[in-house]
This record gives sequence, structure tokens and C-alpha cells, in this order.
Amino acid sequence: MTTNLPPLQHTVSPVDSTPSHPISPAEERVARRGERLSRRRLYTRRFLRNRGAVAGLVILTLLVVFALAGPLFTSYSYTDVDFTSLTAAPSSQHWFGTNGVGNDTFAQTAHGLQRSLIIGVVVSLLTTLLAAFVGAVAAYLGGTAEKAILGVVHFLLVVPSFLLLGLISQKAGGDWKVLILVLVAIGWTYGARVVYSLCTSLREREYVQAARFMGVGSLRIVLRHLVPNIGSLLIVSFTLGVVTTVQMETALSFIGFGVKQPDVSLGSLLGDGASTITSAPWLFYFPATMLTLLTVSMALIGDGLRDALDPMSHSAGRA
Amino acid sequence: MSAALVLRYLLRKSLGWLLMIVVATNLTYFIANFFLDPRANYLQLRPPRTPEQISRSLAQYNLSRDTPLLDRWWHWISGIVLHWNWGYSPVGESVNSQISFRIGVSAQLVMGSLILSTLIGISLAVYTAARQYRFADRFSQGVSIVTLNTPVVVASLAVVLLAIAFNQSVGSTVLFVAGAQSPTVSGFWPLLLDRVRHLILPTVSLTVISYAGTHLLQRSLLLDNINSDYVRLARAKGLTRQHAIRRHALRTSLIPVAITVAFAIPALFTGAVITETIFAWQGMGQYFIQTIGKNDIHGAVAVAAFGALMTAIGAILADIAVVALDPRVRVS
Amino acid sequence: MTGPQTQPQPGSLLSVRNLAVSFPSEAGRVDAVRGVDFDLFPGRTLAIVGESGSGKSVTAMAVMGLLPEYASVTGSITLNSRELLGLDDRQMSQIRGRNLGMIFQDPLSSLTPIFSVGQQIVEALEIHQNLDRDVAWKRAVELLDLVGIPKAAERARSFPHEFSGGMRQRVVIAIAMANDPQIIIADEPTTALDVTVQAQILDVLRLSQTETGAALIMITHDLGVVAGIADEVLVMYAGRPVERAPVDELFARPRMPYTIGLLGAVPRVDIAERRPLVPIRGNPPLLVDLPPGCPFQPRCPVSVPECGDREPDLAVVAGAAVDGHSAACIRAHEIRDGQIDGRPVYPVPLAPDVPAARVPRQQRPAVLELTGLSKTFPLLKGAILKRRVGSVYAVSDVDLDIRESETLGLVGESGCGKTSTLLEIMNLRPPQHGSIRIAGVDIGELRGRDAERQLRRKLQMVFQDPMGALDPRMTVFDILAEPLQAVGEADRTAIAARVDELMDLVGLNPEHSDRFPIAFSGGQRQRIAIARALATNPSLVVLDEPVSALDVSIQAGVINLLNELKVKLGLSYLFVAHDLSVVRHISDRVAVMYLGRIVEIGAVDQVFGAPQHPYTHALLSAIPVPDPVVERTRERIVLHGELPSPTDSAPGCRFASRCPLYLTLDVTQQTRCTSETPELTGRGDTDQRNACHFR
Repeated sequence: MTTNLPPLQHTVSPVDSTPSHPISPAEERVARRGERLSRRRLYTRRFLRNRGAVAGLVILTLLVVFALAGPLFTSYSYTDVDFTSLTAAPSSQHWFGTNGVGNDTFAQTAHGLQRSLIIGVVVSLLTTLLAAFVGAVAAYLGGTAEKAILGVVHFLLVVPSFLLLGLISQKAGGDWKVLILVLVAIGWTYGARVVYSLCTSLREREYVQAARFMGVGSLRIVLRHLVPNIGSLLIVSFTLGVVTTVQMETALSFIGFGVKQPDVSLGSLLGDGASTITSAPWLFYFPATMLTLLTVSMALIGDGLRDALDPMSHSAGRA
Repeated sequence: MSAALVLRYLLRKSLGWLLMIVVATNLTYFIANFFLDPRANYLQLRPPRTPEQISRSLAQYNLSRDTPLLDRWWHWISGIVLHWNWGYSPVGESVNSQISFRIGVSAQLVMGSLILSTLIGISLAVYTAARQYRFADRFSQGVSIVTLNTPVVVASLAVVLLAIAFNQSVGSTVLFVAGAQSPTVSGFWPLLLDRVRHLILPTVSLTVISYAGTHLLQRSLLLDNINSDYVRLARAKGLTRQHAIRRHALRTSLIPVAITVAFAIPALFTGAVITETIFAWQGMGQYFIQTIGKNDIHGAVAVAAFGALMTAIGAILADIAVVALDPRVRVS
Repeated sequence: MTGPQTQPQPGSLLSVRNLAVSFPSEAGRVDAVRGVDFDLFPGRTLAIVGESGSGKSVTAMAVMGLLPEYASVTGSITLNSRELLGLDDRQMSQIRGRNLGMIFQDPLSSLTPIFSVGQQIVEALEIHQNLDRDVAWKRAVELLDLVGIPKAAERARSFPHEFSGGMRQRVVIAIAMANDPQIIIADEPTTALDVTVQAQILDVLRLSQTETGAALIMITHDLGVVAGIADEVLVMYAGRPVERAPVDELFARPRMPYTIGLLGAVPRVDIAERRPLVPIRGNPPLLVDLPPGCPFQPRCPVSVPECGDREPDLAVVAGAAVDGHSAACIRAHEIRDGQIDGRPVYPVPLAPDVPAARVPRQQRPAVLELTGLSKTFPLLKGAILKRRVGSVYAVSDVDLDIRESETLGLVGESGCGKTSTLLEIMNLRPPQHGSIRIAGVDIGELRGRDAERQLRRKLQMVFQDPMGALDPRMTVFDILAEPLQAVGEADRTAIAARVDELMDLVGLNPEHSDRFPIAFSGGQRQRIAIARALATNPSLVVLDEPVSALDVSIQAGVINLLNELKVKLGLSYLFVAHDLSVVRHISDRVAVMYLGRIVEIGAVDQVFGAPQHPYTHALLSAIPVPDPVVERTRERIVLHGELPSPTDSAPGCRFASRCPLYLTLDVTQQTRCTSETPELTGRGDTDQRNACHFR
């Protein structure tokens, strides 16, 4: 099950990130002038100049603070039921209102956001690592190993992953930890292909060739020359992977195959809110706002990171 | 490369895909048998049935656990190969009849929004790429980043809310928020109008979330090409910037976009799950949820086969697009 | 006539006055062009010469109106007395292609890949002329024929990827001359091409000029090309013209120290004398916040304190031999024949001391021996369905040896197999055919990682692109330590001491070893790459085009360094290059390759002075010499056609299809050429050998 996202939209194409030229000519000249331009400071400066990315970072920080500290500000937990107010509009008692059973929407939204964040971050982290490992190994080993790994990746394109996702998480009964495993198992293939194609071009670079001609060992070449040079790609694809995962998790939970009662995520909250969208719109508005802020801010940060780490990409602006 | 060669190439590719579909579908059959238990559908029935009764009912649909799995599989696969019969649900609905009308329903939705979002995405990209970093470009890029990353659920429900507000302000139900058609309408023109009134909202919500991908991809490809040497040469010949972009940069950068759009077709079909659920359309996406919810093994496997087929069709269409658009492939 | 002129000179076609272009950048405003003046007269050729970043291409783009929108352009450009600056894109597009034609540097990317070349020429015609489709197509075919595309009517339907680089550049020239423009601007039109193709393209350019009667602006860094084609030369430095003179005057009596430096830094293919080149010290300035004064002052060997006061104008030189010689130097009138106050402007560096009693080469041990080395690749066809349709015979039966402290230059055009030969050596794997011995060890008998490591120690390599060969994410220290660690050195202090020593050896400050490669200029990066190659005290260093990515003034310093190190450390070099002038300057012996075979080998002065093989002859005659007098009188052999690809394993001479000598032979002799593979044979007592039956 995918979420209306054609697979190519959230990716970093290998061409985009030109790892051997992480610094634009103009900056190069500045660097040559003798000021030692620390790489990290340069990246930070470029990231901070991107207003969208900074806005994304601020929003994300607020969201994280809300997810962590929100539950401290209300006396209700997300499972508590207030029989005195069922389907109540937002009030001083229940800031975001309550649902039909009497759960406090504020507490539920904070918890749901927490849940969605954890799932998104963990899945994306694991997916990125797995993809990087498999992709780099396939590219570096070459030969039969390369063919076998690519064959598996290719085949997994045809296997209806969305169906497996539905089947397994349905069976698991809404345990978010199982959901994480399933999302990782299905999500790594695309990233592995991107890393693979990037590494195949990297292994032809002159400095990799130079290291080989000097007699540097294979593992050392992978660790010292290949991995550091796809680092920026991995950071960016991790960020954008969070967006994709959150979207997936939301969609799954919305149709009832993801996180289930008594646990809540933003997706399951939306599923509940959808049925009362005219009678109790607050049940839709609050989770929907949080969710959209989360995905959009993450995407802005991802774009900002890509531009900061890779000035050759076009969205980087003219330098 | 001659036409015969291209044809042979496509045929060989198609056979490869077919093989993969067959393997994937059979694999799914066993996985579905592991995860789905059709007996569950009979457990809530009143009066309660005995396990024997349930097994007997299921046996007529080739779903009884008392028959060995391999025997059931053989029965199922020979039904498909010999009679193109994809089996029955636990309560006896034919999978064939379900699928046949649902494909049409989904196709209406998906094709409309695919065409719309591709056209909108590409035109927006052409318009904004020529005005890089001006207001129009920054604004539409910002909007696209937001819509691209708005979760489907939120986008679709937002469209519903807007439509309800619109209907209320007009005072009558102009746009339907549920279903593919009204049961009572008859006559060609009224029927067509009815269909359109049902189609608008789901199409709009699918388009809103999918145009942005095309826009951003096409824009960045165009920007790559706008600064290319051959566009500069085209301008040096005397074409204006706009003309050079449209004639030279756009034509070249359409190739990867066409590939992406072709590959997006399967994702759109399965991705319409949410949209079909929210707008209550009886399409393939909604069937997918239903089969899993109702432990319909045969239905679920058919959905999987359909998904795999869509992936293959997308890949083959992408190949055709490359051959048609890129002389570098065609002639060599 | 001093100071900037404001009026176009009478009779001039194009008149540029006080042109300035600047771009915004992160480091501040970059003043890429800072006051260019010139006039171009009908039918004449003006060459604009300068190194990268001198503003020559930006000037051309400004004339064409093709600069990006964010560039700020001031001054005046008048064409036929009409001001071009300030015209909008639509108005400029009326002029581009009709009055102004342009040829760009890289023919491989200049043509739109998805249109046939015929369509692209037709488009150029239809934009400015009201022609029928048929007429336009016929005219396109005529143009293709004119620029020397064989079977033009047929080839017009082909797509750019079916053409070689030289052929594509011919198509671009056809497009530029399609509407009989008054001016053709050529921006480094031959830089990306091989020398024999360069000679062909320069001929086509001259032809297009005579056909259309257009004036030509030739933008190039190659002083040899300038000497051959220009009437007048404008030398640019740091965004400004620093000297302007008719071509003979400029080459014979340069007045600006920068021009003198450029001429002294270029090695010449036609001169045997081995004096060290004269590099210009330092690097060109950043064009951001330039300090007042002459921008060349920090690099100028004859600067005086007044040079720092204000930037000198381009002014007529007092006492110049001809009209129209101007220079932007306050001491220009003191400089005569490259001398000032009786001393040369650039003191000639001392030649490194060659050990007096040199052992004859036969008695020195061989560090590299190739015997019958061959390498074939499968030839795959089809972009989507790849199948093997044959073999590429990249290296065929190559024999050569390099002795201790000897430099062998391996030359040839792209695709001749020199890179494949080099990779075969560097891979340290048993070759498909033949044998490779390095320092007496046969690679085929190499057993175990340790033996390989010991051999790697003796064999190191320097790559062409100094940026690509240095990992951007490692400090110079780590880069230099890597080969030491690779051969098993683990002692941190020993490594640190060696790194300091290496930095010192190549003329860099050891304190800078904690910086990243990005902080160094191109020439410095190549010095780092050389230091890395020397880290393990190798006996053979393979140099793959080590200076071709560098500017002339920087290149000279690196060449001198290589020569110095060779003498100091007793190194042997395998020097692979396409630039024969550099090869002549640095090599003791030279091997010329054509389609995977060595066609001539011998001592460098013998091969260059008295070439025997017809290919060597043609290759040498195609190289432009930076001397207009020599250029005008030199006999030139222009080869026809282009390098075929080596897919034919049939016996016979591979050069026969393009050989000028072959055409003069009788039928029996020709049969011998096409049926019998010529061996490398010598005549007389020298070790100069060639692979031609009749030479």
C-alpha cells in the first residue's frame, strides 16, 4: 500500500549530489583566500540562509516539544475517558475537545504525534542504514553478489508490498513495533538502488582509483572513500524517508491496518475524525494540522539539507 | 534499430515480467493463506455454526482448511489457467465479477487525475523554470512542496470540507462527496452530468496531491537543461529564450518525466485506496481493504496480481516512451 | 590616443567600449570583465587570449547577449552603429544567428540530442529567412557538404550522437554560418579536440570566413592557435585587456610583462633546446574587491612601487614599431625584446644539474618492460539490449621499456590506447597477452598480497584532474599518509615527518597539510598529487596528462618541478599526454601510438626532429606553433577523416585508411600496406624505430 506517492518523488537522484564538489566555485575562492572554512560551518551557513528550511526546523522543534511536553500540561492521559463530556467542542477543560467516547483530544493528539514521530524516525533510520549497507556492498563487490542483490530488489518491485503490509499488520493487531518492522522490510529496496547506483559511479572516481593503485584494501576504500562521500545523500534521504514513513503509517492507520485502539497515532485519530467531520470537526482539525505540519516541515528541512550539502543542485540558488 | 528489433525486445521484456507476475502471485497465494483465515467470517453468524458446517460451506469455494493446501492451490491455479476463474470469496461472491467492474471504476478516477496532474505539473514547470527565483517560481514551488507533502487523508478530507461548504453556500448539492453515481438517474445527458458531479471531488483530491511531484521533477530537469550548451546554441541561432526552452530543453527533459509518470501508474491505482475509501467509490483500492478485512484469500491474491500487472505495464510503457522519444536509443 | 575611446573607430563593424560585467556571488560581487574596448573590422580576425577566469568568454557572451539575467552589464556594444546593450531578448534574437554566429567549446554537448543535425541547421535558417521546407533542407545539406561532412545528404538525417566530436563541431560551424553572419565568434572551438582534428577545424573556420566574408573573434588560451589565425590580438588578464597589437608585433615584441611571461611559459614543439620553462609565480587574483593598482603587480618580476597606485590604462606604447600596439603597463616603454634595463624581464631559472657522467641507457636497469602487451574489450551494441558484436583491440602487441631515470613520453590522440596501456600496468594483474615487468618483477609471477604491496611501493601514478584525484573529504595530511599506510607504515611520527618532507619537496608549506584540497589552487593540488605519488619512494611514476588541466603559466611550474624531481630523486616517468610540445620538453624518449599500436619510438629529438612514420609526421605538423612567422611558412599535412575505432583485427597497417603516403604508392605497395602488419623496425644505428613498410 502506498500513499499516492509515485516512488520517484522523494528521492535524491545520484546526479543531484555531486559528492566530489561539495563547495561552489565562489566559495572555493573564498576558501583559497586563506580563511579556513570549516565544512560544518559552511553547511550550517548555507542551511540557515534557506528560509523555508529554517521555518521547517522551527516548526519541527515546536512539534517535538509539543509531543514530549504536551502530556504534562493536561491532567488527562490519552486513554482516560471523561464521561461528563462526550463529543465536546474545545473548551478550557478540554483544549482540543473530546471524542465520542470521552477521550481528551489534546492528550490523544500529543500522544499520536509522539507515536507517529517515533515510527517515522525509527523506520527511516533503519531503512536508510539497511539501504546504504546493501547498496554499497552490491556496488563494491560486483559480480555475482551484485547480480543477486539487484535481482532481489527487482523482484520486490513486483511483489505487492502494500498487500503484505496490510496482511501482516492486520495480523499483528496494531502493535506499533511490528508495524516498524514491516515498514522497514518493505521500504529499503528503493533506497538500496539509489545508493547502489551512486556507489557504482563513485567507485570509478579518480581518487578511488588512486587509492586502489596505491594498494589500499577494499574495506578501507569503502569506509574511507565511499561512505563519507555518500554521507550527505544518506542524511537527506533519512529526512525525506521520515516524511514517506509518516504518510504510510497515517494511511495504514486510517484504513485500520496500522496502529489500533487503545494506542493512537495521528492516522488512527484522523480515521476517527473522518466520520464526524461535519458534526465534530475539531476531531479532524487538530490531528490533521499536526500531521501536515510534521510532514511539510520535515520535507522543508530535507530540501534545505540537500541544498546545503550539495550546492550543485538547482534549488540551491545562485551562489 | 528496426521496428522488428524493438518489438522483439518488448516481447522479451514482457515475457520476463509475466514470469515475475506468475511467481509473485503464487507466492502471495501462500502468504495470504497463512495470514487470512476465512473461518472467521462464519464465527459471528447467528445461529452459531459448527466447525464441520463452516468447513463444508468453505469447501465449495475451495477455502476449507481440511483440504491440504497444495490441493487447494492446484485447484485454484487450474481454475485460473483453464477457465480464467480467480475463485470466490468466503461467502461465495465471484472474484472475476468484482474485479471486472471495479477496474473500470478505479480507471475513471486514476486516469483522469493522471492526465490532469501530468498536464498541470508539466505546464507549471515550464512556466516557472523560465522564471527561476522570481515570485511566481518561488510561490508555486512553495505550494507544491506543501501539497506534495500533505498526507492524502488530510488533503482528501479538506477537499470534502470545502465541497460541503460550497454546497451549503450554493444551497444545493452540486458536488457529491460520496459514491460514483446516483442510483436513480436515467437518460444519457443526466447520467453523464451525474457521473461528472461525482467524479470531480475525488479527481481533484488525487490531482492536488500528485501534480506536485511532476512539477518539481520537471522543473529541476528543465533547469538542468536550460543552462545546457545546446539551449545556449539554440539561442545563439536566434531563438528567444522562451522558444529555446520550449523547443529544445522541454523536449529533451520530457523523457525522464515520461518514464516517471509511466512508473507511477501502479502506485496511483493502489494509492487510490484512501481516496476511494473517503469518497466511497467501489474501486480496486477499496476492494483491497475489503478482501483483507473479510479474509477473502482469492480476492486478495487477485488484487496482488493486479498490482503486479500494473507495475509491469508501467515498466513496459516506460520502455516504449524511451524508445519513442529518444533517438539515441532508437538508432543505435 | 590615450585613455578610453568613446567613439567607434570609422569602418568598424563591432565596437565595444568600456564593457564591464559583474556577477553577484557569496564571496561578494565578482567583476568578471572590467573595461574592455576593441573594434572589429569586416573580414578581420581578432583573437582574445587569456587564461581561465580572465574574462574572455564572458566578453563574448556579453556581445551575444547570452549572459544570465543576474549579470550586470555596463558600457557599450555597438554593431553597425546600433547599440546592443539594453536590447531585450526578442530584439537580440533578431541579431543572434543573423548578424552574429557563435561556435562553442564543447561540440559533444552543443547539439540537441533529440533532433537530427539537418533539422538543427534548418531551424537556424528558418528563424531568420522565409524559406520553403525543401529549400531549407537543401541549403542545410549544402552547408554540411561545405564544412566537410562526407555524404552530406544522407548524414543530414543522422542524430548528433552518431557523429564524432570533430564532425559535430563542423555541424556547429555550419549552423553559425547558415545565415551569412557579419561576425562569427568562436569560443575555444578546438580545445576539446585532438590536434589533427583541431587542424581540420581551423581550416573549416578559415573556409567559413572566406565563404561568408565574416569577421572572426577567436577566443582561446592557445597561443599557437592565435599565431596561426589572428590578424590582431587582445591579451586579457583579470577581466581587462592588458595588451593589444597586430599578431606579428605581439609575438615578436611583447611589451606587457604578463604577455612576455605567457610566451615564455609555453613549451614549443619545434625547438629542441632544453631550457627550463619560465613560470609566472603566484596565481591570478580573485575578481572580488580588487585592490587598486595593476592586478598583475603581485606576480610581476619588474614591478615598481608606482604600480600599486592605480590601474594603468591600455595605452599606445611610445616608440612601438607599428601602429596600434598598446599595453597596460607603466613600464611598457622600457621593455624591449623581453628585456628591461638590459636584463630579461623573467630571469631564466637554473636547469637542474644532470649527473655529468651519465651511464648509457643500455647499461641502466629497466624499470618497466612491456613485451607483446595486448588488451581487447568486448564491443557491445545497443543501448537497451546489449550484445557483443565484436572486440575493441585497445592495445595490440606493444613493446617498450623504460630505463632508470628516463622519461618516456607516450603520445597519441584520444582512443589510441595510451590510457588502456597505462591501466594495464597500474592494475598489476597478469595481462591477456604478453608480459609486464616492473623493476625486474614479472607481474604474471606475482604471488600474494605482500609481494603486490612491495611492487606498489615502486610504482605510483599522478592523474590528470588534480581535483578528482584527491578525496575532497580528506585533509592533505591524510591524503599524503594514505600511500604510506597502504604499504604498511604505521608509525605516526614517521608518517608526520615524511608528510612534512613531501610538502617541502613539492614546494608547498608543510604547515598547510591540515587543510582540505579545496583550499588549494589547481597547480598546488597537482603538486599535492605529485607528493602523494612520491611518498613511497617509487622508481617509476606514471603521469597521466598531469598538466593538461592547468593554465599555461601554472603548467610551466609543474613541468619544471617534475624535471627537478626526476634529477634529484633519479625517477623514471611514463608520461602520457596528448600535448606534444609538453612531451618534447620533458621526455628523453617518445613512443607514438595509433589505434593500439606503437607506430614510432625513439629518442625525443630524433622522433620530433626527423619523424619517419607518416602518422608522426602528420601529428607534428598539426601542432600550432606560437610564432606567426613559422605558422605562415610551415608545411602542414592535414589528415583526412577521423580516428576509426580499433575493431578490426585483420592484418595490415591500421593507418592505411588515412595515410598520405599510402595515396602516393603503387598498387602492389598498397596491397602490402593493407595485407601485412608492419613491424617496428629501425634503420641504421639509432634506436628510432617505426612501423611503416616504406619508411
